[in-house]
Amino acid sequence: MSFKRLDSEDFLVSADSITAALFSGNIATQTVFFTSSVQEAGASGDYYLSVYQTASSEPTAEVQFDLAFGEKNGSGSLYFNSSVPGKSPSRTVYGQYRTLVLGNENAEFIFGNATGSAFYVISLERSRYKEKLLPGSFNLTLTFGSATVRLTDNSGDTSTITYTDSGRVFQIVSGSNGRAYTGTGYTVASGSFGLFLPDIGTVLLNAKALDLSAANGGIGLSTGFNANTDDNNNRKIFNAIKAGQSFTLNSEETLTSDYVYIRGRNQEFNYSENPSFVSGSTGEVLYGDFINNPQSYVTTVGLYNDNNDLLAVAKLSRPLQKDFTKEFLVRVKLDF
Amino acid sequence: MGFLNNSVLTVDAILTKKGRELLAKNDGTFKITQFALADDEIDYTLYNPTHPSGSAFYGEAIDNMPLLEAFPDETQIMKYKLVTLPRGTAKIPVLDLGYAAITIKQGASLAITPQTLNYLGAASGFEPSGYTAIISDVRLFNTFTGVGVNTPQAQALNVTQTIGTNVSKTVVGTTFNLTATTVNTLFGSNTALYATLTVTGRDSGARLTIPVTVTKVN
Repeated sequence: MSFKRLDSEDFLVSADSITAALFSGNIATQTVFFTSSVQEAGASGDYYLSVYQTASSEPTAEVQFDLAFGEKNGSGSLYFNSSVPGKSPSRTVYGQYRTLVLGNENAEFIFGNATGSAFYVISLERSRYKEKLLPGSFNLTLTFGSATVRLTDNSGDTSTITYTDSGRVFQIVSGSNGRAYTGTGYTVASGSFGLFLPDIGTVLLNAKALDLSAANGGIGLSTGFNANTDDNNNRKIFNAIKAGQSFTLNSEETLTSDYVYIRGRNQEFNYSENPSFVSGSTGEVLYGDFINNPQSYVTTVGLYNDNNDLLAVAKLSRPLQKDFTKEFLVRVKLDF
Repeated sequence: MGFLNNSVLTVDAILTKKGRELLAKNDGTFKITQFALADDEIDYTLYNPTHPSGSAFYGEAIDNMPLLEAFPDETQIMKYKLVTLPRGTAKIPVLDLGYAAITIKQGASLAITPQTLNYLGAASGFEPSGYTAIISDVRLFNTFTGVGVNTPQAQALNVTQTIGTNVSKTVVGTTFNLTATTVNTLFGSNTALYATLTVTGRDSGARLTIPVTVTKVN
């Protein structure tokens, strides 16, 4: 009498893509970048450099992304033990991403049409991107000296998506908003500028491409490849990002919602157990008009299981009048 | 000719405490199978069938009232349900507990068997699914159980132990057995303890709250 059973067609599951600006404060384009000297000097500083949207000492400071450098032979950073050549933070980072992205310890990174043995990693903070990065929204300006390159992913130019062990992969090219400025957007000699891996929130930048001179499409970044030497490569790519003053990226999240359609027929829900609906303890309705023309007001929808347990509840923004001449249809959205 | 508004009203639902509990249990009990509508917050005395401007204005005091957000406590929302009754109904189902108020001595027992008046065309009767009873302070009773409804859920409610806190307790049944506390320290310097008993018809949605007093014996 007060409960109505739901039919299977009253339920709908919908998955909607929600996009948002990625950086703290819902900022789509980050223009200033800061690091923490404490983090850089600490043990983690050997591997990566955390980048903040404001001075790291500020209470609002939040890590936006981390920068790391990976090299196949461990060059560009100090060996863990000088008597064990080749084992260094850069080698660790290279192996870490090779396993993650390629899933094969014998595979090589292919940047566009060229093999690369060194890369810079931009690892976006998980809480920034929620679920994944939005292809086509990646725009990064790198400046070194007088040379500048504007990079984007090539999702807008790609008709067939390529997958790796870490999901979708797009080439990073010279261009903007998911499209190359001209042709493929690759460098002539070193392939693409890197890989955009939206499903793991990671950007790999091809060190060789960035090291090319401006005339050849790069910025002459001068990545250090010295053995058993801290070449401070993380700081180099940070300086290029900082000088570029423009990093745009959006996040993407798939929000799954359950919709329940609540339908009240004209004959239903026209009377109320509200104490103000009756005039006395024996249940007479408040007004004589209510006997043949009752007016009820819906304010709340309750969703129950078979045991009559109230599982979820929804309130309307204002009362909805119901009588024998009106039907009632409300879509209740359940987000988990 | 004007455009008709064909949009579907969409509202966001929140999980109740019970809903979160059952979702966390993951035992299949979190399955929405039915719904009910309620008019919590509505004061029907604001409805004015003698409004001088005519019938379109009878409900003007109610139509645009702002509503509160939903409470996650399932005992504090969906209090007054809308019911489906035949047109021409002059009396709404109401509960009769046999008591307008309960006063019980320390250690004494009492059985309450609710009835529903004006229910399914009968002057009085019992609801097939039974009744839900909520005592606002479980400490007042050594025993607070429901009998007559043998579903696992109802039986589980009866064996739930809550010790030492003034929280409510909910039981399901057709008859409710109460035995007042024998603990003297609970009274402190008072000669009586007070609580409320809320009974709801599980089919009709009819609801009644009465005061409960436990008096100290010695």
